[in-house]
Amino acid sequence: MVAEARRPPFTWLSGRSLPSVVPLIGLLLVLLVLVWLGINLYKTPADFFTVLLFGLTNGAVYGLIALGYTLVYGILELINFAHGDVFMMGGMITATFVTSVFSLHDYPSATSLWPAVLVTLAVAMAGCALLNATVERIAYRPLRHAPRLAPLLTAIAMSFIIQNIGLAWKGPAYVSTPPVLSRGTIFSLGGVTYTWNKLIVLLITVPVLLGLVWLVQRTRQGKAMRAAAQDRDAAAMMGINVNRTISFTFLIAGALAGAAGLLYVLYFTNIRFDSGFQIGLIAFTAAVLGGIGNLTGAVLGAVLIGLIQAFNEGLSWHAPGSSWTQSIVFSILILILVFRPEGLLGEQTPEGA
Amino acid sequence: MRKRLLIGVVAAVAGTLALVAGSYASGEKSARPSARGVLPAGSCAPVYYGPRYGQGRGGPKYIIASDLPMQGANRPQTTQMVAAIKYILAGRKFKAGKYTIGYQACDDSTAETGKWNSAKCTDNGRSYADDRSVIGVIGTFNSGCAKLIIPILNRAPGGAVGMVSPSNTGVGLTVSGLGANPGEPDIYYPTHKRNYIRVVTRDDIQGPAGALLAKSLKIKKVFILEDKEVYGHGVSTTFETAAKKLGLTVTGREAWDPKASSYEPLATRIKQAGANGVYLGGIICNNGTKLVKDLRSVLGTGVKIIGPDGWTPFSSLISGAGSAAQGMYVTVPGAPPESLKGAGAKFVKAFKKTQGGKSLASYVAYAAQSAVVLLDAIKRSNGSRSSVTAQLFKTNVKNGIVGSFKIDKNGDTNLAGITAYIIKGNDGKAIKAFYPTKKLTGR
Amino acid sequence: MPASAGSRKRGRLRSKLGVPDPLRRRWRAVPAPLRRPVLPVLVLVLAVLYPYYRGHLFKIPVLGTFPAMNTAVIMTVFAMMAVGLNIVVGYAGLLDLGYVAFYAMGAYTAAWFASPQFAAHNFTFGAVGVSPGVPGFHVSIWLLLILAGVFTAFVGVLIGLPTLRLRGDYLAIVTLGFGEIMPQIAKNGDNLFGTGFNLTGGPQGITPIDPPGFGSWIHRHVNALPDNYIAATNFDKLFFWTGLGLLLITVFCAVRLRDSRLGRAWVAIREDEIAAAAMGVPLMRTKTWAYATGAFFGGVAGCFYASYKTATFPDDFFFNISVFILCMVILGGMGNVWGVIVGACFLAYLDTEGIGNIGGWINEHFSGDSPKWAHVWASPIDIAKYSFGIYGMIILIVMLFRPQGLIPSARRQREFEEGVHDEPLYDASA
Repeated sequence: MVAEARRPPFTWLSGRSLPSVVPLIGLLLVLLVLVWLGINLYKTPADFFTVLLFGLTNGAVYGLIALGYTLVYGILELINFAHGDVFMMGGMITATFVTSVFSLHDYPSATSLWPAVLVTLAVAMAGCALLNATVERIAYRPLRHAPRLAPLLTAIAMSFIIQNIGLAWKGPAYVSTPPVLSRGTIFSLGGVTYTWNKLIVLLITVPVLLGLVWLVQRTRQGKAMRAAAQDRDAAAMMGINVNRTISFTFLIAGALAGAAGLLYVLYFTNIRFDSGFQIGLIAFTAAVLGGIGNLTGAVLGAVLIGLIQAFNEGLSWHAPGSSWTQSIVFSILILILVFRPEGLLGEQTPEGA
Repeated sequence: MRKRLLIGVVAAVAGTLALVAGSYASGEKSARPSARGVLPAGSCAPVYYGPRYGQGRGGPKYIIASDLPMQGANRPQTTQMVAAIKYILAGRKFKAGKYTIGYQACDDSTAETGKWNSAKCTDNGRSYADDRSVIGVIGTFNSGCAKLIIPILNRAPGGAVGMVSPSNTGVGLTVSGLGANPGEPDIYYPTHKRNYIRVVTRDDIQGPAGALLAKSLKIKKVFILEDKEVYGHGVSTTFETAAKKLGLTVTGREAWDPKASSYEPLATRIKQAGANGVYLGGIICNNGTKLVKDLRSVLGTGVKIIGPDGWTPFSSLISGAGSAAQGMYVTVPGAPPESLKGAGAKFVKAFKKTQGGKSLASYVAYAAQSAVVLLDAIKRSNGSRSSVTAQLFKTNVKNGIVGSFKIDKNGDTNLAGITAYIIKGNDGKAIKAFYPTKKLTGR
Repeated sequence: MPASAGSRKRGRLRSKLGVPDPLRRRWRAVPAPLRRPVLPVLVLVLAVLYPYYRGHLFKIPVLGTFPAMNTAVIMTVFAMMAVGLNIVVGYAGLLDLGYVAFYAMGAYTAAWFASPQFAAHNFTFGAVGVSPGVPGFHVSIWLLLILAGVFTAFVGVLIGLPTLRLRGDYLAIVTLGFGEIMPQIAKNGDNLFGTGFNLTGGPQGITPIDPPGFGSWIHRHVNALPDNYIAATNFDKLFFWTGLGLLLITVFCAVRLRDSRLGRAWVAIREDEIAAAAMGVPLMRTKTWAYATGAFFGGVAGCFYASYKTATFPDDFFFNISVFILCMVILGGMGNVWGVIVGACFLAYLDTEGIGNIGGWINEHFSGDSPKWAHVWASPIDIAKYSFGIYGMIILIVMLFRPQGLIPSARRQREFEEGVHDEPLYDASA
């Protein structure tokens, strides 16, 4: 990538003094949030930790989706808008299997639950991987030499198309599934209870993250991915089949979306044709927050977003409340993009130079 | 280049196939007869009249239109309502007195939101006003949409077009004061002559009825959740005022975001506020079933949940929320279709047969009653728009489908009973009817 | 594809059209200043007279009748917005996914100053059609159109200042974020931050909004100019002509801007930002101007539409509308005003009437109603439900096969054919 000689921002506005003020404002904001959290913790400790657990679990689910965004962005520098909708299709597949194929009821026994979950997981991952690779083949690959806006537009187009396929398939109402993950208590401490369904979410997300990191860092295919991300021409010269590497990345991202769809439906027990777009935006925000292109950052960002959401809705001392959740998430997105485009863990990117 | 073309064509074909296949799978049926209608075919179904549908020959003299959201979560309910209007009209052999009447069902919603849409409402209103054959309108379903259509029809060339709503409960449409915005309702009637009546009770009766129910359930502290829509906001406000008058403590009022993936943090907040009752001012299609599930899972069964009639039909609530819906209370204006008496019971029994025995949504009887009221007004009129409108305000129904009632000068019905239900098993059981007093409603 | 291939193809196409050679030669001989405006003037005359001959037109197969007057008004509004967005996306090459925010801002400006929203105040300035005794601000819609534009442009600058230094997809995401935040503020604005101040009417929206009009004094002297639009019997025609007039002004400004120094700077930035900066084009200022100008027309269109609809609700401004307007720009041809207008009119028509009519036609001929097909296609399908899937399909197909749009600007076409000095998505050899 060409390093760009560009004038620092805001020079025509107020000279060079502004950039040094920016981190200060950011620090102040973070400090304010921490103080607010501290007061809430002091006032209602039990509720604080209950909400914290909710946020952690929600964040872990978002994290699986965010990984898909960050994987694709890392290699193509393309925001795959359709990713959220691929995730939605994974959820729809899961809902179909849970209710129609296996006809599970509330809290089934482990022997009937886990085989069903494994089969569904395999189908959802395979289906979404194929769907995602097809999206890449149809909508992104033919536009490789086009200006950068072109694939972004086709990504939005694919997002709408997949949403409508979901709408045609399941109709406009929420698809609801029975709660199948056990809500049995693991431990209960001072009014704070931790339940099995929350642990299961973490037990899926953490190994997936570790596996993905291993795949990208340690395997041959991962090396090819990193090479293609760094410099496609050079990678091609070194004998890496860039097209295949990109397809592989989309397959992996799609499989992640499928797994996320399964987890989402099992944990939250409902989904709608447009859920993917909304949650996709949240997950994308998480990926940007953590540093887009950075796998660990995506999960970290997702957990942070999950916590912010939960604290905003669940705490009672001066919390803006759930009618402002969307605005808060998007404000974070805008602030991060404007002030620290490289995110929390990312490297400096030319976009924010 | 050719390869690119091939990929594109394959993509387009695959997409179309998927859409078509999908619409098969969802198995939804839209009743769109083939003949083109008088009102724009984009939003209105063809005229229901003529030899093809049984009685009558040639074109009808007048058209009545219904204005309902035919897409989205309300669809099962509104399709039944349209069928009920057709049933009434066909039963009268497409006639009101000496006039022949055709019917067009118009849609005020868009698919992408699945809800009513302001542009569609205005457009529809203008179409009704412009088309001189339209003599009366049944609708709207949503109060927000009524706010747009009433003034347009009020100023219609050739006299104000009368409207009969089967389901608008927004307060400000007919009266001022508590629950209405400043300037309401006069701002909707620029000619200063009323042209809108409704056969359903206002929110300022349903909200207080919810509060009476809460008091009778021994709820001391109540938390209010609303969905930030016209209806949910209105009913929550009237509930809150009445609850305070009844001596209940309102421990908080929050909005729930229909797009949220989880309401557990919100439920934690309610728990922390120490409420032993929650009022859900809103509608079920705003992710309501998930809300009920999360409230139950955090608050347990000890906390009572009350909702207004936005939580109907019960079948959606029970199938969506599963066991969490059990024990939830829902207030519904008037009597439910199943417990109507006299003419109502007869209608329900006969009409149910045409619907394949499916249980009827709660506003179906009101839609039928609206059709009866409008047709009777046309029958008594001299055939002009303004005379039909004037006749609407002289409505005095005895033993009608929803009971005996009169329309007052504001266009409101004097039927004030609100029935409370508890969800048990696969249906709601009526437990008690409430009649809020003037002291609670403020009028 | 090299540029020469494109022009060769066009040459072939032209010879196929079958215009006799002598006629074409004579037409060429007419001096350019006379020749060029012929087509636009012809179209304009046809558009102005549309309400009069609409009723006598034939029925289009499948689509049915020509657009109704209601639809025609909506078409002018969307054409205005598309031309505005074209300045941002087509001229300056900045992808804006939150254009709906400007539309909302314009609509709320109209709602604040021409409705009973602020009932505590009583202020009337040139408003018409206000029933006596209705409180609130009532300013003439004509003034508000300008005010809405200026206010929206100002907000555009505020949003643009921190964000426009981001490039490409990041900018798109930030604008998308603003587009999502704006309706939420509108929705929660009935009790802003718990202060009890009612700014936007919240979910109830603001209604009714005053109509435009010329007042009784002018009406008495010039009978053709009505006192107020809604009371007039031909209100749909009046709204249509007003919309057409506003669109005309918009197009005039857009074309003049394109050919100005600023317009050339936009194109320079679009084609190669670094080279433009090196040549002394002030990047931030130029981009901000593009943003503000685009926002201005979005605001005017929003204000006019709110007055036509007599109301504004937060639910009117969701993300899909932004994409819908973007779709118009892409379909018509990014950068070409005429193409964008055609795209906007076509899609706005499709959305309000066309898709419904097509669905009706399909069901009439192929579904259960027609005995021939009953066994294949038992239940009628609701085509309108999939409108956004169809728009997605349009974007996809246009971007893949004709990225320059239906009526491309010559310059944009070259960019798509030869590439620009923008980083392409990925540059691997196949």
